[in-house]
Amino acid sequence: MEQSFAARTLRDLAAVLIVAIFMFPIFWWSLSSIKPYSAIFNKDGPVYFDFEPTALNYKVTLLGRSRVESALESGGTYGAGGASSYDSRQTILDSTLVAVGSTGLTILLATLAAYALSRMAMRGKQHFIFWILSQRFMPPLAIVIPIMFMFRDMSLLDSRLGLIIAHTLINLPLAVLLLKSFFDDVPKDVDEAAMIDGATRIQTFRRVVLPMVRGGVAATAVLCFIFSWTEFLLSLYLTTSIRTLPVKISTFVTSTGTEWGFITALGTSAIVPSFIFILLVQRHLVRGLTLGSLKE
Amino acid sequence: MASVTVRNVVKKYGDLQVVHGLNLGIEDGSFVVLLGPSGCGKSTLLRMIAGLEPITAGEVLIAERVVNAVHPKDRNIAMVFQNYALYAHMTVYDNMAFALDLRGTPKDEIKRKVDWAASVLNLGDYLERYPRQLSGGQRQRVAMGRAIVRNPEVFLFDEPLSNLDAKLRVQMRTEIKELHQRLKTTTVYVTHDQIEAMTMADVIVIMRAGVIEQKGAPLDVYDNPANLFVAEFIGSPAMNLIEGVAEAGNGGPAMRTKGGALLPLSSRFKVAPGRKLTLGIRPEHLTIGETGDIATEVSVVEPTGPEIHIYCDFEGKDVCAITRERGSWRHGAKVGLTPDPERMHLFDPESGRALEKA
Repeated sequence: MEQSFAARTLRDLAAVLIVAIFMFPIFWWSLSSIKPYSAIFNKDGPVYFDFEPTALNYKVTLLGRSRVESALESGGTYGAGGASSYDSRQTILDSTLVAVGSTGLTILLATLAAYALSRMAMRGKQHFIFWILSQRFMPPLAIVIPIMFMFRDMSLLDSRLGLIIAHTLINLPLAVLLLKSFFDDVPKDVDEAAMIDGATRIQTFRRVVLPMVRGGVAATAVLCFIFSWTEFLLSLYLTTSIRTLPVKISTFVTSTGTEWGFITALGTSAIVPSFIFILLVQRHLVRGLTLGSLKE
Repeated sequence: MASVTVRNVVKKYGDLQVVHGLNLGIEDGSFVVLLGPSGCGKSTLLRMIAGLEPITAGEVLIAERVVNAVHPKDRNIAMVFQNYALYAHMTVYDNMAFALDLRGTPKDEIKRKVDWAASVLNLGDYLERYPRQLSGGQRQRVAMGRAIVRNPEVFLFDEPLSNLDAKLRVQMRTEIKELHQRLKTTTVYVTHDQIEAMTMADVIVIMRAGVIEQKGAPLDVYDNPANLFVAEFIGSPAMNLIEGVAEAGNGGPAMRTKGGALLPLSSRFKVAPGRKLTLGIRPEHLTIGETGDIATEVSVVEPTGPEIHIYCDFEGKDVCAITRERGSWRHGAKVGLTPDPERMHLFDPESGRALEKA
């Protein structure tokens, strides 16, 4: 049905409004990251564009400059704060390694598990699948202390590997179930055709079925990456010297004040890697990859 | 090329037995069609020959070799699936080359074989396309190309045409038959479409509920159905079945129907008077006229073009007659039907078996 001009305009307006509401916090965050101290803490109300942009916050968090040095350079004032380090370069590297590592490990294990669950007959499969899902019912807080003790005995505390394993554990159930549904969408006939063509089970998986679900794998990888990138609790408990971004940012709330400038600068920077990751996988996130395999 | 032998094959799913000790010999180079209603076990039998379904008991032999425990990839068979089962992420060329590639065939030989298959199936222009860019008939041809490149000993087809539209189905039917005449590879073809079975098969195997009801050349099965099930299943419109009791008529044996009509039978049937019978007569062997052995009324007229199907009501059942005459048959018209005694079939209503003609 042809929509009237008014209806179309109204619909577009609603869409713009909703996007604006969701985008505003990110906008405000990134805007604050380039504000000088005086603009962040303006006593007369929020400052929108009436300020001198400064790169000070980024220089401190991303380039490791001393705050006093940077402030003097730009001739601005600087706020309170103790002697804690605001240099976050190592943190970004650690976070990236942990997120990429746990995503990779999750996908490796979950694709194999999901394929097996989707294709192979097994007594009590439904119960097993439910048991996998039930692992997600538990709040991470309930298991973080036991995990801490186990990791201590295995010398995994305060290591990137330990954090990668912990994030993989949390991500696995959802990844397995999600991927299983994608594998279920690929008809078994395709496996059988490949086997008659001479492929072994593992060749069928690697060369035929896995490429057909790569959209699903990409979507799952994005979810795993974002979870690991933003995870706070496990990282806080299981590490001391290695800090991921959420934990690092939380240390910017100090006994002498909250460093809003550094928090917003690092927060804004933290969006970039996950944005890049999503850009990399999004070309696989197209629907209808199995299109053409079957008569629809 | 190879023969296929099925010996006392049984298939059980848990306690449910779906195939009951089948025996079937498929000659080298022949085109055998397994035909039956859904759930009759025809696809299960095919999948057991392919090695996709474990065999509960009995033996399957390909080229005189027992293959019960042989992996599908080592049976030297090729299979075409109902829904094509193409590899969506591969081009047409790669789909066809996949099996050869897995066997480590040299690249130039793969190219030669795929080009040959593409030329046989008229796919030459589509080699770089993906399955999603092809029409249904082209996809079906790719599925067949994937099967023929390997030069297998046996082709297995699992209802390959049932997803195509009617016109394409007829065209592909001819193409598959031509392909078989050209390659002469032993073929086992599963379908529930009796026209496909009749037109393509050297040998039709009719199955029901996990047993073989009849096996034979298509016209042989059509002309001499072994039992009531085959009689009703083969032929469209289906064979008319009329129940009655044998009588000694004036000029020879006859049958008295429930409603009292007396139908003369061929003298080649030796039936004792008083015996219960089911008479089978194909629609094309019923002559329709103003008077006849069966007096009835026209209920539905279906012109198909070459012929007209006329359904009449007889003792509460529809009886169909086919005529090639252009007449003005109308609903409600009084007509008479005369069966040709020489083309009648008699069945025992208890066992369903056909009675022998002398």
